[in-house]
Amino acid sequence: MFTNLRPVNKLVIQAVLILFAVVWLYPLIESVIQSLQINGFDNYLAVIRHPKVDYFRVVFNSLFVAFCSMLIVSLLASLAAYAFAKMQFRFKNVLFYSLVACLAIPATAVMSPLFFTMKSLHLMNTYGSLILPLAAFNAPFMLLILKNYFEGIPNAILEAGMIDGSSSIRLYRQIMLPLGLPAIINVMVLTFIYSWNDYIIPLLFVRKESMYTVTLATQFFTGTTGQTPEMVAQLYAALILMTIPSILIYLFGQRYMQAGLTAGAVKS
Amino acid sequence: MSGSRSVLSGGKAYLYILPILILSGIFLYYSIGFTVYTSFHQWNGIDSQMKYIGLDNYRKLFDDKTYHIALKNNLIFLVCTVFIQAAVGLLLAVLLRAKLFGNGLFKSVFFIPVVMAPVIIAAIFRIIMDTNFGSLNETLRALHLDFLAVSWLGDPKYALMSVIIVNIFQWMGFSMTMYYSGLLAIPDEIYESAKMDGAGFWRTLFRITVPLVGSTTSTLVVLGIVGSLKTFDIVALLTGGGPGRSTEFLTTYVYKKAIDEFNGGMSAAAGVTILVIAIVLAVVQLRLGNRQQNNH
Repeated sequence: MFTNLRPVNKLVIQAVLILFAVVWLYPLIESVIQSLQINGFDNYLAVIRHPKVDYFRVVFNSLFVAFCSMLIVSLLASLAAYAFAKMQFRFKNVLFYSLVACLAIPATAVMSPLFFTMKSLHLMNTYGSLILPLAAFNAPFMLLILKNYFEGIPNAILEAGMIDGSSSIRLYRQIMLPLGLPAIINVMVLTFIYSWNDYIIPLLFVRKESMYTVTLATQFFTGTTGQTPEMVAQLYAALILMTIPSILIYLFGQRYMQAGLTAGAVKS
Repeated sequence: MSGSRSVLSGGKAYLYILPILILSGIFLYYSIGFTVYTSFHQWNGIDSQMKYIGLDNYRKLFDDKTYHIALKNNLIFLVCTVFIQAAVGLLLAVLLRAKLFGNGLFKSVFFIPVVMAPVIIAAIFRIIMDTNFGSLNETLRALHLDFLAVSWLGDPKYALMSVIIVNIFQWMGFSMTMYYSGLLAIPDEIYESAKMDGAGFWRTLFRITVPLVGSTTSTLVVLGIVGSLKTFDIVALLTGGGPGRSTEFLTTYVYKKAIDEFNGGMSAAAGVTILVIAIVLAVVQLRLGNRQQNNH
C-alpha cells in the first residue's frame, strides 16, 4: 500500500508512529525515572533484599507455573482436538460443545467451589493449585483453535499413514503435531501470556510468601507501601523489577509470538 | 460440519479426550454444578450450613442497583475496548506496513504491555492518574490544560473511562500484531491497482484493507468478548469498583459478595448469570463459525 511514498507522507507516517510510541513508552519511562528517586539504585536492592518476598523465587514461581500450564494445555488440547477433528465416534458433538462452551467462563464466577476443591485436594499453597486451574480454564478455548486448525490438515496424508500401518498415536506424533505446529505455538504463546498475567487464581489459593507469583508480589508491594517518597520510589523499583522478566520473555519469544499469534487463529 | 471427513474410527477416540475431560470435570463442571446449587441457598460462603430458599437470591440480585451498574459497565467496557483497540491497532499496523525507520522497535513498544501483567499496569497507572500528584495531571497543568486535569480514578464520571483507557493501553499491541500479520498476506498488486484508480489513503483503508482483514477482526472480537467478561484484576486494582460502586464489574461484584459480604448464595447467583452469558456467547460464536465455514 506504500510503494513510492512521497517524502511528505513518509514524514507524516513517521510522526504519527512516534507520537503513539511516546504515549506507549511514557508509563514505563516515568516508572524508571521515579524508581531512581532519592536513593537511586538502592531502591532496587531494597526490593531484591526484601525480608518477606524473595524476588528470584517469585519470578521462578511465575515462570514455572506459566510453563507447566502451557505444556498441559497444549498436550491435552491437541490430543482432544485430534480426536474431534479426525475421528468418528458417538456423542462427538455433545462432548465437543460441552467442552468448548466453557471457553468464556471466568474463574471468578465459580470461585467458591474452586476454593473448596483446592482445600479438599490439599492443594492450597502448592504449584498444583495454580497450574491445574489455569490449565483447566485455558484449555477449552485452545481446544477450539487447535480443532479448527487440525481440520484443515488433509485426510489424504493420514490415510497414507494408515496404509503404512501406523497407529493412531503415531499419526498424532508424526503428522498432526508437525503439521499443526503453527497453531500449537499459537496456543502455547496465548496460554503462557494468560497464565503469567493471571491474578485471581494465586489470589485465591496462595497465602505463603514463598509461593507468591509476580502478580501477587506486585500487589504485596502496592498494598504495603505507605506515602513516604522513599516508599513510593521503592514501589516503582518493584514494578520495574517485576516487569523485567516479561520484557526478557518477549525479546526471547518475539519470533514465535509474532508468527504464532496469527497462525491458527479462530476460523470464523 | 466441515469439509473434512473423519478418517479414523473406534473407541480409541475417547482415550484422546479423556485427559481434558477429567481436568474439566474437576475444575469446571464440578464448580459450575456447585455454583448453580448454592445459588438456590442461603449460605455465608464458609461453613457447611446451607438453607434452601428457592429463587430468593436471584430476586434480590435483579433488584440490586449495583448489579445493574455492573452489567452496564461490562457492556460499555466490551464495546469500547473491542472497537477502539481494533481501530487503533489496525491504523498502526497499516502505518507500520510502510516499513519506514525503526519498524521493529515500534512493534516491540506497542506489544510489550501485552506481556506485562494487568496488575503491574494498574499499579503504574494508579500513580500516574493520581489527581493531585500524578504526572498525568502535572503534565496537563504544565501545558495549561487545567480543565483536562480531572480526577481520573476518583470521579464516578471518569473512572470507567480511565479503566477502559488503561485496558486499551494493555491490549492494543495485540490487535496491532494480529493485523500486521494479516496485512502481510495481502498482495501489493491490489494496492497498486487501487492507487492507479486514484483511491486515497482513507478510501483504500476502508474499501480494501478493512474487508480483507475481516477474519482477523472477527478473531479479535471473539477474544475481546471473552476477555472483557473475564476482566477482574485491572478494575479491582485500579478503582476497586469505586468510587462508590460506579465501576463495579460482574467479576468484582461476585468477588465482593462472597469475600467482603459473606453472601455466598447471592455471589453464586451472580456467578450463574456470568456462566449463562459466557455459555451463550461461546455457543453463538461456534454457530457463527460453522455457518461461515459452510458458506465458503
